[in-house]
Amino acid sequence: MAETTPPATEAPAPKPVVPFSPVLLKYIHEPNSHTLEHFLARGGYETARKHVGETDPASLIAIVKDSGLRGRGGAGFPTGMKWGFLAKGTGKPAYLAVNGDESEPGTFKDRHILEKDPHQLIEGVILTCWAIQSNHAFIYLRGEFILGYQRLEAAVKEAKAKGFIGEKSFGKDFPLKITVVRGAGAYICGEETGMLSSIEGGRGYPKIKPPFPAVSGLFKCPTIVNNVETIANVTHIIKNGADWHKQWGTEKSPGYKIFCLAGAVKKPGVYEVPLGITMREFIDVYGGGLIEGRSIKAVIPGGLSAPLLTPEMVDKCTLDYESLASLGSMLGSGGITVLHDGVDMMSAIYNTMRFYHHESCGQCTPCREGTGWLEKLAHKHHAGHAHAGDADLLADVAKNMRGRTICVLADAAAMPMQSYLQHFRGEFDKRVGEAAYVERGRSARDEITPAAKRETVAHGAPGVLDVGMGMDRV
Amino acid sequence: MTHPAPVKKTLSPEGMKQFHDWVDEYPNKRSMLMMVLRLVEEEFGCIDDDAMAIAADLCGVNVAHVQGMVTFYTHFKRPAHGKHRFMVCATLMCALDGKTDEALAQIQAKLGLKPGQATADGLFSCEKVECLADCDQPPVIQKDSEHFCSMRGPVLDAYIDKLLAAENKASADYLNAPAVTMDLRVSVLPQHYNFEGEQNVGARRSDDKDPYFAAGEGAADAPRTTVIPPPLKTPLTAPVAGSALNGTGRGSNGSANPTGGHHG
Repeated sequence: MAETTPPATEAPAPKPVVPFSPVLLKYIHEPNSHTLEHFLARGGYETARKHVGETDPASLIAIVKDSGLRGRGGAGFPTGMKWGFLAKGTGKPAYLAVNGDESEPGTFKDRHILEKDPHQLIEGVILTCWAIQSNHAFIYLRGEFILGYQRLEAAVKEAKAKGFIGEKSFGKDFPLKITVVRGAGAYICGEETGMLSSIEGGRGYPKIKPPFPAVSGLFKCPTIVNNVETIANVTHIIKNGADWHKQWGTEKSPGYKIFCLAGAVKKPGVYEVPLGITMREFIDVYGGGLIEGRSIKAVIPGGLSAPLLTPEMVDKCTLDYESLASLGSMLGSGGITVLHDGVDMMSAIYNTMRFYHHESCGQCTPCREGTGWLEKLAHKHHAGHAHAGDADLLADVAKNMRGRTICVLADAAAMPMQSYLQHFRGEFDKRVGEAAYVERGRSARDEITPAAKRETVAHGAPGVLDVGMGMDRV
Repeated sequence: MTHPAPVKKTLSPEGMKQFHDWVDEYPNKRSMLMMVLRLVEEEFGCIDDDAMAIAADLCGVNVAHVQGMVTFYTHFKRPAHGKHRFMVCATLMCALDGKTDEALAQIQAKLGLKPGQATADGLFSCEKVECLADCDQPPVIQKDSEHFCSMRGPVLDAYIDKLLAAENKASADYLNAPAVTMDLRVSVLPQHYNFEGEQNVGARRSDDKDPYFAAGEGAADAPRTTVIPPPLKTPLTAPVAGSALNGTGRGSNGSANPTGGHHG
């Protein structure tokens, strides 16, 4: 093949690397960072004071739209665009619902904002409410955030006492109420419409979309639902401008994001990094590399529901929405979990499927029954009871769950299963038949009476819970 | 409002004050339910039938709706839970490398409890729960409203010892005694828990003024024709073994789900 000369016009020069220091998590390591004094001393509420009642709300929406900020809760939908969808002139009040349910396993970023910097969130809420002209914001926290709830509740009271929120926010003609609601341990309330159902005082049942919440949401009024991290970002973007935000990240995923690192690394924790850095850099530099003597078997990149990455994919992966989508996975909520080479993938998938079966709200049959099937079949593989063809059945069930339910919980359960099947099919097949018993050093017959089988798969059955419910140490 | 068999408990004045503070905050009474359930849980230590009736009263919903809530959300404390309720995270990030199992084994070694069990005196209970959102420091344990990370080894042992000492108990008291499997089902409430004058099962009360449901879609709320069935002759507060009630979908004792029965 003849050598081709490179085209005269090169691709645009790569973005200059701008040094980055944490924005949202800048102060969380300081003592008393959650107090009002600390927040005011670092210029807190100044941005809100400047804009509320003064700036044209449409121009604030334009800034956020221009900044390219994408929702940090998982779906990555452009925030400014979402705000633009809010139905106007309906005669009903508009609501802002801040999603602090953070129920995706592997994610614990909002916890740090709520516990250590609640005023930062409240300022974001005030600015967002002014931008979308809403007079009532709900902040929904998961029930486990006990300290977060206490501190946020106290912070709301302080802000009210200072006149930042209330009948006349900042002395302007802008009444604003912020209500903090606590959940009580349901994963499904992290889904936006499920959360709205919970705030309305019901079971956290997701609702059919459309109508989308921006048209008919909380109490059937127009509602904007945003993640805690997204709302916390709003203040910084309005303060510093859209271009400031766009100097980090990639073209389609601008800005920075908080990632949570868990699993087999030396320094697990929360790290705020510009989008677009490589996964390797994140794990090796921020996470301090893997624990001694271990190598990567797989990485869960965006919370438990994100499809797995194999080590080869990890090498290719950068932390932005597009790169992960191109690898068949998703950035999700940014909860990265590293599974080391000693992890038994059948334990991992069984544990994962048990989670989704437990957390399915039970409205839609494909999810309610499908997650149960996935859990039981995963348990068969985990315990070595599997028959030939069970792995195909798993693939079939997973395929038929996707896209057939009100919300994406069924997809969230099916996606990891499909990726485990894709990348670790060999481990599924190894557990078929009696050979598995021998390999695992068990008696071939002692567990497979029908009664024992029934008991072990019945989740929560008393007395047999320790059979494979945690993880086997390999 | 009068109940033929009055609810024995009442909310404290502080609790009522908190409730009235919320009335200004929320657009309607029903939406206060999550917080009111937390309030009665805090007041009475757990959510029992009376607490559910009070919450239903305060929020203007049927008791059946409250029962639905309490069984859907797994973190509400029920009478079957121990006074000290250990919730051990068993989701993947915590369970990796057997950290959940370690913590559970330690609890079992101290209190003789397997997940899903409570001590016979009702002081301690242990259960597995799903993600508690502190995945970088496993194992994560929540004890009632206290949250602990990296709760393992001597730290966990010392904590349980502290609780035992506070209750004047010793580990040996529990290791030899049989534990009880927690039964988290709700009992069928007698009809006297219905609101006075309430005609329809599951209907909202007429004084629950909800401006946004009243117009538009809510207008389609034609009066329902559901009729309250006549009271059954068998008391329904507890399933009777061998009675016709077994097998009517309430489940037998063997299928009690210790982690909350909102699935399957």
